[in-house]
Amino acid sequence: MNVSAGRWRRFAVKLARHAAWVLPGARSPWADAMRRELDYLEDDAAALRWALGCVAASYKTRLASPLPTLPRMRGRVGRVAGWRHAATSGVLMLFIGFALLENAGGQTEPPRPVFKETTCDLPNVSPDIRPRLRCGTVSVPRDYDNPDAGHFKLAVVVIKSEQQPSWPEPVVYINGGPGSPLTVYAAYQARTPYAPRRDLILVDQRGTGRSEPNICPDLERKLLDANFAIGATVTEEGLDRRQAAYLACRDQAIGRGLDLRNFGTRVTVEDFERVRQAFRVERWNVYGESYGTTVAMTLVALYPDTVRSAVLDSIYPPDPVPLWSTIVSDARDAFFAHCARDKVCSTSFPDLAQTYRDTLARLDQNPLVVTLPPQMRQADDRVRITASLFEVGVSNLLYYPNAYPTLPRMIQSVHDGDAHGLESDLASQLTAAATQNLATHAAVECRDRPHFRAQLPVGASVLDRKQLYGVCGHWSEPGPQPLVPVGTPVPTLVLAGQFDPVARPASSRHVAQLIGASARFVEFPFIGHNVRRFSPCGARIAADFIDHPAQAPDTSCADRIAPIRFLPRIPDAPRDR
Amino acid sequence: MPRKPNNSRQTRALLAALLDRSQTWRHGYDLSKETGLRSGTLYPLLMRLSEQGLLESRWQETERPGLPPRHVYRLTASGRSLARDQELAAIAAERAGALA
Repeated sequence: MNVSAGRWRRFAVKLARHAAWVLPGARSPWADAMRRELDYLEDDAAALRWALGCVAASYKTRLASPLPTLPRMRGRVGRVAGWRHAATSGVLMLFIGFALLENAGGQTEPPRPVFKETTCDLPNVSPDIRPRLRCGTVSVPRDYDNPDAGHFKLAVVVIKSEQQPSWPEPVVYINGGPGSPLTVYAAYQARTPYAPRRDLILVDQRGTGRSEPNICPDLERKLLDANFAIGATVTEEGLDRRQAAYLACRDQAIGRGLDLRNFGTRVTVEDFERVRQAFRVERWNVYGESYGTTVAMTLVALYPDTVRSAVLDSIYPPDPVPLWSTIVSDARDAFFAHCARDKVCSTSFPDLAQTYRDTLARLDQNPLVVTLPPQMRQADDRVRITASLFEVGVSNLLYYPNAYPTLPRMIQSVHDGDAHGLESDLASQLTAAATQNLATHAAVECRDRPHFRAQLPVGASVLDRKQLYGVCGHWSEPGPQPLVPVGTPVPTLVLAGQFDPVARPASSRHVAQLIGASARFVEFPFIGHNVRRFSPCGARIAADFIDHPAQAPDTSCADRIAPIRFLPRIPDAPRDR
Repeated sequence: MPRKPNNSRQTRALLAALLDRSQTWRHGYDLSKETGLRSGTLYPLLMRLSEQGLLESRWQETERPGLPPRHVYRLTASGRSLARDQELAAIAAERAGALA
């Protein structure tokens, strides 16, 4: 019998779970006590022996207990059936356990991933948060098909729960991008817990943040500039320049010995599984946000036994996806329709949709010019607001509910020839883009998303041209695709924002239906991308769900979210007398 | 004849281990290694001693990141008293054996 180390551990965990099930309810702390000791046993064979002992202890205790029934079984029939079931399964598991134990001696166990603790060198960490942070690395195989290919170190931060003792089964937060850093924001994450009684695990996915590898250390800025140039002017020259920057990056990466096949969601999921093993976490609660939902869904599909609950916040829809411009257009139309229904907004901006279209036409003829701070590194510190850049800017603002009250006013101002309000928006968008690992973004998306190998339709929007069409065909070969956990028993909560320009509620609802009966779907009005971050109600629902995934969460607060308080049109300046 | 409670060889070994460092909180695996008792024997004993008020327990935070709190144990005042009595009895029995 060939039993891998992982299987051994999993079997021990199952035995311990069975032991907990057998113990009378009043003794459940003892069940936890026995089970948690497993987490501290380095050796799998020792863990299995321990778990077998736990089963024996539970049966001894159960037999000595005056309580006649087993959990979840009531009545005389339940007593007979319960004991028969318990005896049968207990004996069966003991038999299997001893059979496995006999094979222990001959096994060569692969090394277990470990968390190597380092000092925490993180920004904005206040003294009250510092004691709760544990920073370190987990080494993962570069190539899961080739154990000799070496390792990448992933940066990992554990945030201990503020209330101690923390509950078992931590939360692992999987952020978006792909290509966005995470651990650098640990201080923020510590202040906004997902489930306040549980530890939180943060991982910089391979190729992002402080994790290895940095695919193109010298070319990230060029990629950013090339992408920005495409936003500013949709020309073939701009697209060629962008493609050249990506291909130079690819060549640089390959020249440094990187195999671009070692990226993609399926690889990232394997990395997360190694992190779970490093912490000896039996099951964790998975919180995926934006692209992180892609990883979370694939993780649930491949490792369902390791996931206690899953929250999918703002689902990045799986392929096949429509053109991004059509998704954004749908979100923009929903926002304009809401403005038309709102008294203040419709009074000040009677036909916002038409104003927006007129603005695009005007900018197409006469771009406006705004000045950016020098640190934005734009030529002459000036940027031409073209129709394309304006379209990109508005779609970016739809991500953020705090931009909604002023968005109609901003559109009107630009329409009227005043783009000065745009500087700060553009500066913050550029700053945000500069934090991304764009090479990792391409490395993952080009493996995951076959549609980027298709031709763009003629006349495609700037939003589509900014995507990786024309890049992926040259970047790497397609990899195994991400998965949707169709029919999974893992309790799953799906959150969607009304004006989300990436994850339209209809699309998220469709994914929830694919997942099946275990999925609960909640839509939040007046919210964009990343529900939990912008909605205290969403955060509360998610936290309740994580603590009690088997129960239907109370979602009534989603019906009481305060409407957008639109700012009215700026009155025309008084004329000089 | 009814068995004398808490006088089995395993219980005495456990009480002796707990008495040895009576102010230290001990966890299950540690006690198992020291006494040679397997978890299947150890935990029913711990549960029984706890229910008799001879043992106190609590959850202890761990310094190792990502790991859950651990259940730890130490003797109560009555537990220490019983353990000492048993130790004295054992010493007396040894002496009696030596004199015989």
